[in-house]
Amino acid sequence: MAESAPAPVDAARPPRRRSRANGSGSVAEDQTDELGRRAVELSRFYGGKIETVPKVPVRSLHDFALWYTPGVAEVSRAIHADPDLSFDLTGRWNTIAIVTDGSRVLGLGDMGPEGALPVMEGKALLFRWLGGVDAVPLPIRASTPEEIIETVVRLAPAFGGINLEDIASPKCFGILEALQKRLPIPVWHDDQLGTAAATIAGVINALELTGRSVKEIRTVLLGAGAANIATSRLLLALGHDPHRLTLVDSRGILHAERRDVDELSVRNPWKYRIALQTNGGGRTGDLSAALEGADVLLAASTPDPNTIRAEQVRSMAPGPIVFALANPVPEIWPHVAREAGAAVVATGRSDFPNQVNNSLVFPGVFRGVLDARARSIPDSIVLAAARELARHAADRGLTREHLLPTMQETEVFPHVAAAVAMAAVREGIARRKLSHAEFLAGAITQMGRSRRLVQALQRSHLIPPMPRAAPAARRKSR
Amino acid sequence: MSASAPSGDSGPGGSDSPSVPIHLRPAHASDLPVLVPLLLRLKRLNEEFDPLLRVREDAEEQAREVLRASLDDPKAILLAAEGIGPDKDKVVGFVHAYLRERPFYTPEVEGVIADIYLLPLYRRHGVGEYLLKEISAQLKSRGAGVVIAEFPAQNEIASRFYAKRGFRAITSRHARSL
Repeated sequence: MAESAPAPVDAARPPRRRSRANGSGSVAEDQTDELGRRAVELSRFYGGKIETVPKVPVRSLHDFALWYTPGVAEVSRAIHADPDLSFDLTGRWNTIAIVTDGSRVLGLGDMGPEGALPVMEGKALLFRWLGGVDAVPLPIRASTPEEIIETVVRLAPAFGGINLEDIASPKCFGILEALQKRLPIPVWHDDQLGTAAATIAGVINALELTGRSVKEIRTVLLGAGAANIATSRLLLALGHDPHRLTLVDSRGILHAERRDVDELSVRNPWKYRIALQTNGGGRTGDLSAALEGADVLLAASTPDPNTIRAEQVRSMAPGPIVFALANPVPEIWPHVAREAGAAVVATGRSDFPNQVNNSLVFPGVFRGVLDARARSIPDSIVLAAARELARHAADRGLTREHLLPTMQETEVFPHVAAAVAMAAVREGIARRKLSHAEFLAGAITQMGRSRRLVQALQRSHLIPPMPRAAPAARRKSR
Repeated sequence: MSASAPSGDSGPGGSDSPSVPIHLRPAHASDLPVLVPLLLRLKRLNEEFDPLLRVREDAEEQAREVLRASLDDPKAILLAAEGIGPDKDKVVGFVHAYLRERPFYTPEVEGVIADIYLLPLYRRHGVGEYLLKEISAQLKSRGAGVVIAEFPAQNEIASRFYAKRGFRAITSRHARSL
């Protein structure tokens, strides 16, 4: 699900027709092909998606005596004396790096750093448009975790935050942990934390809606990749009983005596730790064995609508909560899960109700940590973002069709930002401590300015209008 | 042969009357059905560290033979670790060691820890430390003047475990396929 096509992109295209239960739907496939051709065409036309633009007046070359030498020397000396001044006297306060090694791009696998660049540019555009963040796409040619860690450490002085993107599991876990420890700025891995936070937000509201408490539920997580490993950690932080949590992967129920558990201790200590902590009843076997009597199923596994069967949902506790988050095709079609008794169903898709989308999270989270000049981003902040998302949806009235804010509810982003900034202040990791109202106002201003900027550039045709799509016939002849 | 440290840090632990959640006793022939899979788990873990440690097809029969031979061998020690409390009578790990002559060096007899394995849930809490102390004491009482642990060179967890307890590398075995 981490490879979810972010919803704003979805929103820009006509709603996908719902596929039939028994097929992936050739209409959707054709549409995806068409979008791909158009994306290549437009990428060539615009020569990429982002550029750097000044934010100070330049009346004549004389102004460079201020912006550059000799005036800038004094700015340099001041920062040299107090490096934290780089957050006030340069754009560092609003600048992040989107770092990837290209090892797990979308659902495509290893695309290499160059292959990852258009995706990172797209993410930078989302950061700009939704979060008002200056994001620099930085695919790096590095393969071992050590190389990636060292590279990011060396790059960090220019940035107020780091967003790791599309780095394969399990190496992503160690890289995130090491960088969070070593850097004095927030480090985030969207495929873990963004997706997990959106999932947790949905879970909070689904529990509310079905009258359950997190302390009592039995939860099954299907898939043990980046997202679900992070989700299980956050569930535990939320008060979930580890014994009532069960992870299931392609080899069945993860438990402390599974045959591959020693191998995990070497290759994936994060999953190993969960194997030891969870599955209190000592269940063994496959998904069916795990699901019997469970209240919640959080699937982030295989994009195949037959991954979860109706009778497996039927075997869960009455009125279960089912999140089928694989993209582009959920592990079970929502209507099938509903007919099997699911009280609430969420997917990763924008054309069904209850889209669990990491794009709901990262713009507000980064706006918040940047505005607070946070030194790190502990799980308490991730949970604060999830709770704020949940609260925002709940304020509008929870229904089984409205569990989470949609991407159209853009007012949610500054609220997440303010909640995150306040959490940073509470945690004592904020370099800048303001009130909630001030953080909220600041976020609204910065996010609004970003959109107005892009709109102004479009109105003035400095960003040229989109050229019409080349006729299909001409394209074919190329 | 190749032993591995019980994975993970054992914490401070190490008192003579350990509060560890296991109980050590000599293994019997009746333990073999449980010990064989545990030994195989250890060998499969070793497989992770080097392609030259790939486990054979017939490893299960081999494991049974090796352990059975050690039960009858006066120069070998095979201890079974049982759980306590609700896990009483459940064999959750074992230690396998033997005495080896040192014709050229003193001390003249070394105690070799060939295999140590504990199921993951029984690691930490000072259990590894306890196992090491027990087996060292038994090897010493049988005449060993030095205790040697053998494990895959790439197993850093084992390296750290033994280094913390005063072990150092004294000989190396370097290999290449033919």
